[in-house]
Amino acid sequence: MKKIKVLSSSIVLSLGLLITSYAEAATIKIGVSFRMLSDVGYKHGELITDTVAEWNKKGTINGQKIDLTLYNDECKSEKGVANATKLAYQDKVHVIIGSSCSSVTLPMVPVTEKAKVPQIIPHSTNADITKKGSEYIFRVPVSSRFYKIVQGKYTAENQGTKIAYIYGPDAAGKDFALSMQAYMKENYGVDPLYSVQSGEKETDFRSYLTKAKATNPEVLVISALMDETVRGLVQSYEVGIPKKVHRVTASIGSKVEIPTNAGSAAKGVTYAAAFAASDKRPVAQKFVKMVKNKYGVVPGHDFSQMQDLLDILEIALKKVNFSGDLAADRNAVRDAIASTKDFKGLASGPINFCAPGTPQCRDGNRTPVMIEYTRGGKNFKTKVAGKVTFNPTDGL
Amino acid sequence: MDKFKQIIADYPFIAFIIAFGILALLPPFVLTDVYQSHLASLIFVNIIVAAGLNIVKGYCGQVTVGHVGLFAVGSYTAGTLFLYMGMGFWVTLPIAIIVTAFFGVAMGIPSFRLEGPYLALATLGGGEAIRLFIENGNFFRSTFGISDIPAPSLFGYNFDTPDRYYFISMTIMIIAVYFSFSILRSGVGRAFMSIREDPICAAAAGINVKKYKILAFILSAMFAGAAGAVYAHLPPGYIHPNNYTVIEMVTFLAMVVLGGLGHIWGGIIGAIVITIVYDLTRPLYKYQLLIFGLTIIFTILFMPKGIGGFIDRYFITKRFKAKTGAEKNVT
Repeated sequence: MKKIKVLSSSIVLSLGLLITSYAEAATIKIGVSFRMLSDVGYKHGELITDTVAEWNKKGTINGQKIDLTLYNDECKSEKGVANATKLAYQDKVHVIIGSSCSSVTLPMVPVTEKAKVPQIIPHSTNADITKKGSEYIFRVPVSSRFYKIVQGKYTAENQGTKIAYIYGPDAAGKDFALSMQAYMKENYGVDPLYSVQSGEKETDFRSYLTKAKATNPEVLVISALMDETVRGLVQSYEVGIPKKVHRVTASIGSKVEIPTNAGSAAKGVTYAAAFAASDKRPVAQKFVKMVKNKYGVVPGHDFSQMQDLLDILEIALKKVNFSGDLAADRNAVRDAIASTKDFKGLASGPINFCAPGTPQCRDGNRTPVMIEYTRGGKNFKTKVAGKVTFNPTDGL
Repeated sequence: MDKFKQIIADYPFIAFIIAFGILALLPPFVLTDVYQSHLASLIFVNIIVAAGLNIVKGYCGQVTVGHVGLFAVGSYTAGTLFLYMGMGFWVTLPIAIIVTAFFGVAMGIPSFRLEGPYLALATLGGGEAIRLFIENGNFFRSTFGISDIPAPSLFGYNFDTPDRYYFISMTIMIIAVYFSFSILRSGVGRAFMSIREDPICAAAAGINVKKYKILAFILSAMFAGAAGAVYAHLPPGYIHPNNYTVIEMVTFLAMVVLGGLGHIWGGIIGAIVITIVYDLTRPLYKYQLLIFGLTIIFTILFMPKGIGGFIDRYFITKRFKAKTGAEKNVT
């Protein structure tokens, strides 16, 4: 009797283990870490959740179930590192999406590299992210090393080289302004007429703008967070900087709030980005319509990049034959993402990855577009002023 | 058992050696993955900060809301010493403690003339000023942050993973808590408490109020400096001004308040509870702040002296009951 009991409990235990291991093998886990509690962040979270729910419903990824774990990093490096560590070691995800902020993505890279879990980033542009040499990092957006060239070249050849810079203390805004200054110095031998960093959450830029006006610039670069950029643009007219002075913003200019809130002050503003809502391609127009209907906003390039990321991930995950061995599966997912070639999604150019963990291989989109607002306000209009595809080594 | 209690009372450091032994043996049994080790290190960092904050706020009764600035000074001293001079943890840690102590003096000077909410505002300004100075200073890498700050190594052994770094953060936490206990039980601790209860009476009793107030700020700053350095070297070794905002300050205060102001174990309990609650509510990010707010409100309503006070009351009641019971038996 005792033997039967032992035998039957062993069978039950084995079956349990078998079912558990099967369940683990059949479930693909995706972890997400980015700033969720902002208006746009929350909507990006919804976009990911909805997309994955659709994959699960349709059985898109070879009929396998996708488990999604979303964490908020509040755009803080400490939280990003904790999230990446938790996702990698405790939640045992196959791939991590995030973060949005460069200052959070940067410290996440060594964590995911050590844990050997692929990390694919939707928004961070800081060039250093892919320079760390991790084999597990993939960048969907355009790197700041390409932005500085396209913006610098376009500005110098079409707008002028007498430039005044006002930039915020945020990593992206500052990186853009300083990179552009360095590029102008290196290639055209010009120093900025005026360059100043504003304070955190500063709302009145008129003193800086008045000083900038006194230098008679041909171009005014305002590179900061969204609200600050809007205020800077509006106040530039208030202090009397003439219309003929070209206004330039960082890629944040692609956010719909810029023309909506800045109104007529947005007219004539140029910026480099990876997507324009005015893109006439059917795929782009379909996407714009979908986002407008579902999430109530006109998508900027942050939205399109998230969608591209999800599409790339979908293709990659389909290629992987999940074995249930987490380490092997993570490497297989990495290799599948690295095999992305000429992905033509919403982005301004094709997205390519390759195997080595170098910036040449992991900065996927090398095609920024120059966009100009031809009308501000709610019914804003844009036009594509130029488009360049860079070589993988440019800007390094 | 009584003999053991007597030995601990006579030589309290033995209790800390035992605690060290237990915590050193714990990881294989309790910390089942790397993330838990990372979380443990964060708890230890928070305990060091909370223990320091308890000295100035709990023991000495000075309202400070700028402690996170001192924590930032500790982190950035360690970070910049590495960045510009390539110094490692064993050098940056003591220097960070000393530098932060000087900042503690600056933070404490307003306490000579200000009290309560006015002192809170002054220290809040001090803490924010430090963060903004770092954020706007290119010397400190501004909003790019300082990255790749190396983890310490000892005799060729690198503490470069969370499960290894656990031992560094745990050791420093044990030392910090030991000092916190020693201060409280010394004449200095009693002077702090007399100032907290009534500064005028303390002065009348011959206590140099100004000296002890500034000493409380210095000592608590040294704790913050040590915690800052430990935090800066915590793998992957990245610091950014965003991690030293008012929200972090409120979190530190919540740890001390939840644990119980002025209670020896208060800061420690608070740091453990808050860090774990924060982690458990990570997936519920939409409601996280609500949960924290409610936790603090209910603590103040039902446990005004925090968890530490609640435990104290339990033991006092128990002792009282035992005593009265014994007296009843005698009669």
